[in-house]
Amino acid sequence: MHDLFQNELTVSELTSLVKRTLEEGFYGLKVTGEISNFRPSSTGHWFFTLKDAKAQLSAVMFKGSTWKVNFTPSEGDKVTITGNLDVYAARGTYQIKCDSMEKAGQGEILALLEARKRLYANKGYFDESLKKPIPSQPLRLGVVTSATGAALQDILNVLNRRAPSLDILVLPTVVQGENSAISIANRIMQANSLLLCDVLIVGRGGGSLEDLLPFSEDIVLEAMHESEIPIISAVGHEIDWALSDYVADLRAPTPSAAAELVSQGYLDLRQTIKAYKAEIKKAMEYRLTLATHQLGKLEVRQIHAIIDNREYLLANASQNLINAGQQKIRETQARYQSATRELQALSPLAILHRGYATVQSESGTLIKSKEQATIGKVVRLTFIDGQRTAEIKE
Amino acid sequence: MSFESDVSKIEEIAQKLNKPETSLEESLSLFEEGMRLSKALEKTLSEAKRKVEVILSEDLTEAETTVLE
Repeated sequence: MHDLFQNELTVSELTSLVKRTLEEGFYGLKVTGEISNFRPSSTGHWFFTLKDAKAQLSAVMFKGSTWKVNFTPSEGDKVTITGNLDVYAARGTYQIKCDSMEKAGQGEILALLEARKRLYANKGYFDESLKKPIPSQPLRLGVVTSATGAALQDILNVLNRRAPSLDILVLPTVVQGENSAISIANRIMQANSLLLCDVLIVGRGGGSLEDLLPFSEDIVLEAMHESEIPIISAVGHEIDWALSDYVADLRAPTPSAAAELVSQGYLDLRQTIKAYKAEIKKAMEYRLTLATHQLGKLEVRQIHAIIDNREYLLANASQNLINAGQQKIRETQARYQSATRELQALSPLAILHRGYATVQSESGTLIKSKEQATIGKVVRLTFIDGQRTAEIKE
Repeated sequence: MSFESDVSKIEEIAQKLNKPETSLEESLSLFEEGMRLSKALEKTLSEAKRKVEVILSEDLTEAETTVLE
């Protein structure tokens, strides 16, 4: 080491020594400080300063590490980073190269949560056998959340779209700060003591680990465990979690997702009804087609039967008519013949036939007595075979 | 009101309608009943007639509410 003080060094030689010393001697560090002068680059790297009351340290976190951090740091955030010291020879500066970053104190919070999680798991609060079924078509949903938060708006929007008939009761709570756990627990108990709804969503929108802590407090977990109303826990975003997720009957990744779960039964019901309606229509159409077809067949057959019947009657009637006509003719002929015979019997010609003759005046008047036969008059004598003219003498 | 019983009624109607031994006359009245029921249910489920209320009191034994929207 004391060689250094006997030889002359170039800047580069010294810097190289400093670099080697710092980088080989200061690695795997865990440093807590406040973020200052945070400058994210367009290429995804983060440049910032870590400081406390008495000192500051340049820091960099490259893109390969920043994606693993579940928050975007902002001015004044107290964070704990892990990393190595890094010397930038060209500028003669040193900085800390960060591998990971979490909000300060998070490690302790996480450890506390893990311990509490084990405690309640051992108590049996997470047992699957305790999970109550969520009603598929609830009549009234209770929502335990901030009345002014985005979570409530998300829930109302989703339900308005998917189950617009579902009644909703908001049980407003403080979701952040000291009194929030008591407030949340109180609302769960209130819903139960008055049976205000048949399913409960308990939750809030995204936030820091500390923001979500009330949902992991003992008093909330106890209230959820005692609840007779089924509870859906909906805390934060997909990556967030709270112990309420484990005690609840169902865990939803977000408040919107909780609303989707609650309304799924209604959506399914609407689909079912739609399907049955289509089926009923189809069945009816089929029946009608079938009936029309049968009716068509029936009509043709019937019409033929009717026509055949009428034709028979018609033929029958016309035959009767012909028969009657012929009968009439025969009767007439018979009467004619008998009349003819009678007529013949009465005919003067028949008398003439027997040798008599008729006497008529020249004008044709029949002369039946001698008074009619004036002397000197010419008369006509008719015999069977012809006529002669004669003169009355006396 | 019970959705389940209405839905099972509709289901029954659909089944009867599909049976060939159901007479045409019966089919027609079944069809009317099925359409009436399903339309009424669809209306009930899709109509925005929900009540959104917010509870006012923090007392465990009180449930005074006010309409939110």
